[in-house]
Amino acid sequence: MGAIFALAIKDLRQLVRDKSSAFFTFVFPLLVAVFFGVIFGGGGGSSKINVVVVNEDGGEAAASFAEDIAGDSSLDVTAAPSRSEGENLVRLGKASACIVIPKGFGAAAGNMFGGGTMKVEGVIDPSRKAEGGLLTGKLNELAFRQMSKTFSDVTKMDKALENAKQSIVASPDVNDSDRMLFSLMFDAIGKVNRTTRQKAQNAAATDGATKEENKSALAGWQPVRVSFQELPAQDNKPRSSFQISFTQGIIWGLMGCVTAFGVSLASERTRGTLMRLTVSPMSRGQILAGKALACFVACLLVQAMLVVFGVLPPFNVRIGQPLLMAVACVASAIGFTGIMMLMAGMSRSEGGGAGMGRALILVLAMIGGGTVPMFFMPPFMQTVSKVSPFSWATTAMEGAIWRGYTIEQMLLPVGVLLGFGAAGFVIGVVSLRWSSDR
Amino acid sequence: MLRLTQLRKSFGALTAVDSLSLEVRRGEVFGLLGPNGAGKSTTIGMAVGLIAPDSGTVELEGVGAPTDAAVRKHLGVAPQSLALYDDLSGEENLKFFGRVYGLASTVLRDRTSAVLEMVGLSPRRKDRVGGYSGGMKRRLNLAVALMHDPPMLLLDEPTAGVDPQSRNNILDLVRQLAGQGRTIIYTTHYMEEASRLCDRVGIIDRGRLLAMGTVSELVASHGGKSVVAVTREGQGEERIETDDPVREIAHVFAAGTVQGVRIDRPDLESVFLSLTGRRLRD
Ligand SMILES: Nc1ncnc2c1ncn2[C@@H]1O[C@H](COP(=O)(O)OP(=O)(O)O)[C@@H](O)[C@H]1O
Ligand SMILES: [Mg+2]
Repeated sequence: MGAIFALAIKDLRQLVRDKSSAFFTFVFPLLVAVFFGVIFGGGGGSSKINVVVVNEDGGEAAASFAEDIAGDSSLDVTAAPSRSEGENLVRLGKASACIVIPKGFGAAAGNMFGGGTMKVEGVIDPSRKAEGGLLTGKLNELAFRQMSKTFSDVTKMDKALENAKQSIVASPDVNDSDRMLFSLMFDAIGKVNRTTRQKAQNAAATDGATKEENKSALAGWQPVRVSFQELPAQDNKPRSSFQISFTQGIIWGLMGCVTAFGVSLASERTRGTLMRLTVSPMSRGQILAGKALACFVACLLVQAMLVVFGVLPPFNVRIGQPLLMAVACVASAIGFTGIMMLMAGMSRSEGGGAGMGRALILVLAMIGGGTVPMFFMPPFMQTVSKVSPFSWATTAMEGAIWRGYTIEQMLLPVGVLLGFGAAGFVIGVVSLRWSSDR
Repeated sequence: MLRLTQLRKSFGALTAVDSLSLEVRRGEVFGLLGPNGAGKSTTIGMAVGLIAPDSGTVELEGVGAPTDAAVRKHLGVAPQSLALYDDLSGEENLKFFGRVYGLASTVLRDRTSAVLEMVGLSPRRKDRVGGYSGGMKRRLNLAVALMHDPPMLLLDEPTAGVDPQSRNNILDLVRQLAGQGRTIIYTTHYMEEASRLCDRVGIIDRGRLLAMGTVSELVASHGGKSVVAVTREGQGEERIETDDPVREIAHVFAAGTVQGVRIDRPDLESVFLSLTGRRLRD
């Protein structure tokens, strides 16, 4: 066992030291993930928050609020006619959040003193939760501006006070004397409102400071209740282009491992070190096991590296089912270790056979989702790509990341990958036995 | 210690080794001397279990055949073609092969240092092998064979293509290893190396072992007579074969003035010439 580990560690060390192998195993896949992600995403790299606004209220206040949102410089706003369409845009990754101005927004705005609360609803991409906080603050600021409009408009204010008076006066919980008192009080406030507003407006005309004073007097109060829901995972639709491109990156990483270790046995043969290993107490099975272990570990490392980079900002790849993703990664690592053994068994020298093997692996990676995402492919190509072990790895990983696969659905791709692993190991051992003299 | 019996190996139509039998005795340095393509490496390959003979047997006395992994632990092999990892340091190469042979922790560390010291590579232990000179690679190639401290060493042309300094270092080391009681098979196509190092020598050509014995035995039985080469004024060189060159020289001087005289004693080269009709190095 110690010898197998020693061989695996030696191979990994060589992989890291060989600049070209290290590049194609660790750096290139990351570049692919970022490059394809940006290309497919088409995002122009603006720092604005993309939001969709759905106005379900349709009243004057709601329209004015929507206009304020649209006019805000930190937001990139598109309007959607319905809540479902807005949510769909979020799901497709076109917007971070969908803001819904629900029915009753205008009524609540008109009845602020009578217990009406302006509400804003919406859904947010769970990977954009950080932006959700920012957005809530922004909406409050805008709603507040909306209120100042109400305050500065004397007739609107009167209407608000009248509404408040009516709701209290009409309430059955209020006794007659209190009702009288409230009625008088609201009338008095109304008078004060009209005269002070008049004065304030005159003053504002000269120094324009009123608005700021109003703001400070109301500091800490939330004018609008914003409630965001996280968008639930949905089958068959990736939420961001990086969810696809990081899967592709992993495919290229797996390919890097297979080619690096596939030729390593051939290279040991031509350098004579394989001869040293065969005259050592190690058996052929142990030598292959050491190679396999190194390849397996390298595959896992590449996958882990891409997953870690992927989930971090700015990529924010959401992995729907982390546990299934781990299963998919381990199964892929086993599957491609098998492919590596197959390739190692076939290629007797560093040139020739190994070159053929490398070309074959490249083609398989390309049709297996490495370049064109599988679900963009025409149905005929999707069928053809099933011959590629890479397509099964893609399916397994996508199933865990955004396809929302059940455990039963995962069984097929994972099973196929494990099958590739087992078959590759057996064929690799047999062909190594045939291709040498002992 | 190591007995090869009626070994035969052919590659296609070419018979690389033919009916070869020999026994290497415990503690001796056995030289396998022959020109390129004689079948030395193929013989070593069969002796260590790397190449399966078409017929014949290999047996390490009291242990078994080297096709058995446990038996291979007793053997240390320095192959003719360098077998090292260029992208690892000298120390990393040694440690890796040490681990392959089951060494670990302090034993591994101590053994690595000792072996590096033996081959004079301690100052360069941390450097990548890719940057070593040919002689340094040769020494490391031999060092790997020593890592697990095997009682028997098989060194296949361990001085091939090295500078004189590394060559002397390697020859000294082989002598030192022999002094420690190790059994050594040493293949070479340099007859000086065979005569300087080896207790017994086997002469191999075209896959066949033609003669075997100590150097003096071989010279006595196959080397022919000594030659006294005499040059006189106005004449070319005269070569006189004799069993007693000293008496022959006395005769030569008695016969007149001599410009120069030289004794050509028979050596392994003459042995090879008389056995095959060809010189060792063409
Ligand atoms: N693997 C092989 N395939 C074909 N011919 C070989 C092989 N190995 C050795 N030979 C041939 O066998 C003969 C003996 O080779 P070898 O044992 O390497 O000789 P030496 O080591 O004495 O130079 C040579 O003619 C060589 O070409
Ligand atoms: Mg040779």
